[in-house]
Amino acid sequence: MIRLAKLGVLALAAVVFVATGATDTGRLPADQLAKAVRSDSISIPTPGELFAALGKSEKTNWSGQYRGPMPVTYRNRAQIALNLGGLIADGFIAVQAKDSQQVKNIGSDIIKLAKALGVSEHLLSRGKSINEFADNNEWDTLQEELEATQNEVKSSMQSHADQDLVILVTLGGWIRGTQVVTAAIMQNYDERSAKVLRQPALVRFMQSKINEVSPELRQEPLVKDVSEQLNGIEKAVSFPAAKTPAVDDVRKVNEAVTKVMTEIESKELPK
Amino acid sequence: MKRWLPIFLSILVLAASFAVRAETDAEVRARKDALDVAGAFSNDGFKIRDGHWCGVVKPHEHALVAVNLYAGNQYWFSAASAEPAKIAVSVYDESGKQVTTESYNNGEKAAAGFSPANSGLYFVSVDLVEGDGGSFCLVYSYK
Repeated sequence: MIRLAKLGVLALAAVVFVATGATDTGRLPADQLAKAVRSDSISIPTPGELFAALGKSEKTNWSGQYRGPMPVTYRNRAQIALNLGGLIADGFIAVQAKDSQQVKNIGSDIIKLAKALGVSEHLLSRGKSINEFADNNEWDTLQEELEATQNEVKSSMQSHADQDLVILVTLGGWIRGTQVVTAAIMQNYDERSAKVLRQPALVRFMQSKINEVSPELRQEPLVKDVSEQLNGIEKAVSFPAAKTPAVDDVRKVNEAVTKVMTEIESKELPK
Repeated sequence: MKRWLPIFLSILVLAASFAVRAETDAEVRARKDALDVAGAFSNDGFKIRDGHWCGVVKPHEHALVAVNLYAGNQYWFSAASAEPAKIAVSVYDESGKQVTTESYNNGEKAAAGFSPANSGLYFVSVDLVEGDGGSFCLVYSYK
């Protein structure tokens, strides 16, 4: 009740917002832009944001984007981190599909993979909440819970001195999210949806974060391979601002991310 | 030598844990206020992103953060200063050109909202309009 009252007060405050109509004449020089802060927690959008942009179209067949059960018994820590990110993106897909059983299945797999990385202790209560919200069809809250779960996994990795794996979780989520979005756009092409694919700076930023991880991790065959393929993906998503990606452009991005995703999921690591 | 190894390892682990910067009390306060501003947009269906950026805003300096946004979404960037000050939030596109936004300014709290026509890189700036500066925090919401 108190929460509702607070929201009411804030809603009133929103009504008195002053639209100042900011001028559009300002310009920042390139050297200032180069100094801008870039951080995982705010510069990289979540899969939920990507799906929200696509979800404006009622025609998206979210449940058609599910993938079969995936292994949760990987041994390589980098591969577990990449798959954990992908699995969290799958959770967002199930929320978009409003499929409570699928959300619960994915929640349980997330905990299993997190356990394999030794970062599950705080997540068990998240798993319970996810089940509860799924049972009650609280989709908005579930989306918030998934975001919080992803952040908890990452902060737990940081406190376990596993910072290098954090970017791999983010990257795995982005690759799986982009795979799903491109597949959905190909099934039901419309120009407005295709515009979400223009993200060269995002891919460049993730690539730069991978270049900062320890040399040992960077030399792991899977990480090396994914990193090399990111260069091609960056080119595939580098559309001029005024250009809307055509169906063929979307297909190219889908093929590129599907290839990487197949390697991330595979039990056979690249040599 | 073996005796020293655990000590070296402990120092390494300790150093790594300090590398993850802790938030100050002022930043926590600013974050709470920024979330209050963002909360107002929740009634319009905006979801608050579980992430934030805290820093220090100084006179005549832009505090800038890079964000990657999607065409098709609407965004509100909400900020609050921990100290008495007047702040403003503005958004710039990847070329550095300021984009037209809806704005909210209320002393230590400010917000800017817009719907990007193109997906890609944008820059959000928190500026000091009046005051000596201090800690601030920015959060964003989308729908």
